[in-house]
Amino acid sequence: MIEHGYGGRILYVDLTEREFQIKPLKKGWIKNVIGGRAANTKRLLEELDTSCDPLGPENMLIFGVGPLTGSILPASAYYTISARSPLTGILGDSAAGGQFGARMKSTGFDQIIITGRGDPMLYLLVTDSGVRFVQCPELEGKNILETTEKIRKNNRDHSIEVAAIGVAGEREVPFACVVSSGNRVNGRTGMGAVMGSKNLKALAVAGNRPVTLHDPLAFSEEVKNIEYKIKVNPEYDKRHRLGTTMLMKDLNGIGILPTNHFRKGVCDYVDDISGEILADRYKVKNKSCYNCSVHCSRYYICQGTESEGPEFETLCSFTSRIGVNDLEFALDMNYQLNQTGLDSISTGEVIGWLMECQERELIKPEDVDGLNLGWGDKEKVRELVHMIAHREGIGKELAQGATKFSEKFGEEAQKLVMQVKGLDIICGDPRGIKAYGLTYAVSSRGADHLRAEPYFELTEQYDIAEKRFGTPKAADRLSEEGKAELVTYSEKIALLTDSLTICKNIGLCMDVINFENSARLLYYGTGIEYNPDELETLLGESVKRDLVLNEKFGIKTEDTLPDRFTKEPLKEGPTKGSVVNIEKMVEEYRRLHDLRNV
Amino acid sequence: MIVVDISRCTGCRRCETACAFYHTGKTHRNLSRIKVMNIYDKGVDSPVVCLQCEERFCAQCPADAIRMGDHGEVLVSPTLCVECGACERNCPVGAVELFEDIPFVCDLCGGKPRCIEACTQGALSYEPGKQVSLKDRKKETDGMKPSEKRYHHVSMEGGKLRQRWRVEND
Repeated sequence: MIEHGYGGRILYVDLTEREFQIKPLKKGWIKNVIGGRAANTKRLLEELDTSCDPLGPENMLIFGVGPLTGSILPASAYYTISARSPLTGILGDSAAGGQFGARMKSTGFDQIIITGRGDPMLYLLVTDSGVRFVQCPELEGKNILETTEKIRKNNRDHSIEVAAIGVAGEREVPFACVVSSGNRVNGRTGMGAVMGSKNLKALAVAGNRPVTLHDPLAFSEEVKNIEYKIKVNPEYDKRHRLGTTMLMKDLNGIGILPTNHFRKGVCDYVDDISGEILADRYKVKNKSCYNCSVHCSRYYICQGTESEGPEFETLCSFTSRIGVNDLEFALDMNYQLNQTGLDSISTGEVIGWLMECQERELIKPEDVDGLNLGWGDKEKVRELVHMIAHREGIGKELAQGATKFSEKFGEEAQKLVMQVKGLDIICGDPRGIKAYGLTYAVSSRGADHLRAEPYFELTEQYDIAEKRFGTPKAADRLSEEGKAELVTYSEKIALLTDSLTICKNIGLCMDVINFENSARLLYYGTGIEYNPDELETLLGESVKRDLVLNEKFGIKTEDTLPDRFTKEPLKEGPTKGSVVNIEKMVEEYRRLHDLRNV
Repeated sequence: MIVVDISRCTGCRRCETACAFYHTGKTHRNLSRIKVMNIYDKGVDSPVVCLQCEERFCAQCPADAIRMGDHGEVLVSPTLCVECGACERNCPVGAVELFEDIPFVCDLCGGKPRCIEACTQGALSYEPGKQVSLKDRKKETDGMKPSEKRYHHVSMEGGKLRQRWRVEND
């Protein structure tokens, strides 16, 4: 019996039968996976029929929180959604902050596991006493904000938090996202499409169960130390002012800001699309996730549009990555993408890839419904995004995602898709951040940085690098040396943040979480004892569990990067001349993980 | 009273979390005496807390369980309270709400409000003696549930803020 931290219960919902079942969370089961992402993976591994159609009723859509979600731990806001991905066919998962995670925690369910298919369209209202299946055909086609407000008003309870899909999810675009708190996005791997395939418009949560702690006083002392570390972090002021949008100028400064689909790493007009100009001209206030002291998000108003965001990935995907020199356009697209529920990275990739292929005449207008898309063609991009979300016209083809759509064309066009394992690469050119390159290559959900977020390689802390990873070069962004060690360490810390369900910008980038303080937090929080070494070991095992699951899904793709990053050096800027020696790093990584036989 | 500068609030709930934890060692908005409303489609966030209104609508307690403390804070006698919910119904802004039969309302932490310490945005301050009238608000929110009253109150306050934003950004 678990008394503290955890809600202690698992909710199973069958939408077809409109039935639900509540099962206890077993201490022996949860101890080795802690919570959040790792617990979701374990559940899929044990209970999902891995031959399932990702968009079929049998796929399991799991919403998971952790033992410390909704506690006084700063930014303990996150929740992870996991399922088999319709975009990649392998493990899909995506986390988001905002207010949903803490509110879900108050239902007393650590995981909400959804199968089946609703008919007609449904939303679920989950409270601590159970589930209501609410028919909602009137919400079809409604955007996230409308859906959220309607559910709150209809239930006469404005404390309800809602995770919903937009039209892209309803129409099962394989890179559709789930959005909560109005604009907080579970963006990657198409969890919104899985939700749409279940005809589930939204999951609404509101419970009465408080988060209790095993030793509240000791826990709050530990939290004070973490609060202090955040406050004195040299990046605090910058993150408070700009959040992730600070990366526009930061990445440009080191020559790795994706420009014209990774053809360039330096963007001449970065000052027109930077986080600084956004903050100065359009931001009206800071926004924040649950219990965070950084408040790194923002609300903006500009002509005709207003919204929370954008985060760096959306900002870059809809400016430099596709050759657009117009911040107001990106602000409008941020609203459109979030409210129709499209992943901005995958959407930006299919558009950027098409631009490059058309420039190279690998794809002719007659191949794509007469479309002739040039760099920075804003009005056409605006139309395309609408068409992708609604799966209309040529949008229906692009809505397959760049990897799948490219199969219609020649090998040269296929090779230009910036993806690993079918997931589109984020906005950060790996030629100038080698540990990130390795992370994209080995990440179990496909090209992605969040599995490790090896931010350390940008810190130039050579002394610490030598101590922690055996070589000062681990802190040199252009070197491949020590990067396998760095990623092997960082992916455990990243998984730890996903399990404690805190923000990675804080936990990892601001370096406030380690095995020692986390072991204490978990003990004071839950009463379950961990020692730091044991914690590190079990996190390592959880990293491998992802790979076992992917094997069961029949993964066929390799741990590598697109040729552009391994063969074509950048031609200008501070990363000029560099390519990624990915094979060497992957080999080293596999050796460290003893993966020769997997 | 505790004064809210709505333009500074980011909706993080640190005030709410700190309040609940200080009073109970647990966290949940129902255990907090200051409750945050996020209105996502308006970009407005704000805590709602007892405004120590001139009218003291909550004091019309049939069991005579409510009195005002030295700092003007609302004190509920647990022995006299009969859990009838009149205070919750009477509060025009949803600053009193019952949870597990106990009325939760701001007690100013005995003069050192923890919510103000927890706010890193400077959105909360303590102004002893300050009072406002909620007579008009009372008419607007009659019959609403506490979260609806908070939504209404923050919508009204947020409306003024949004006008300012428009002026500044145009």
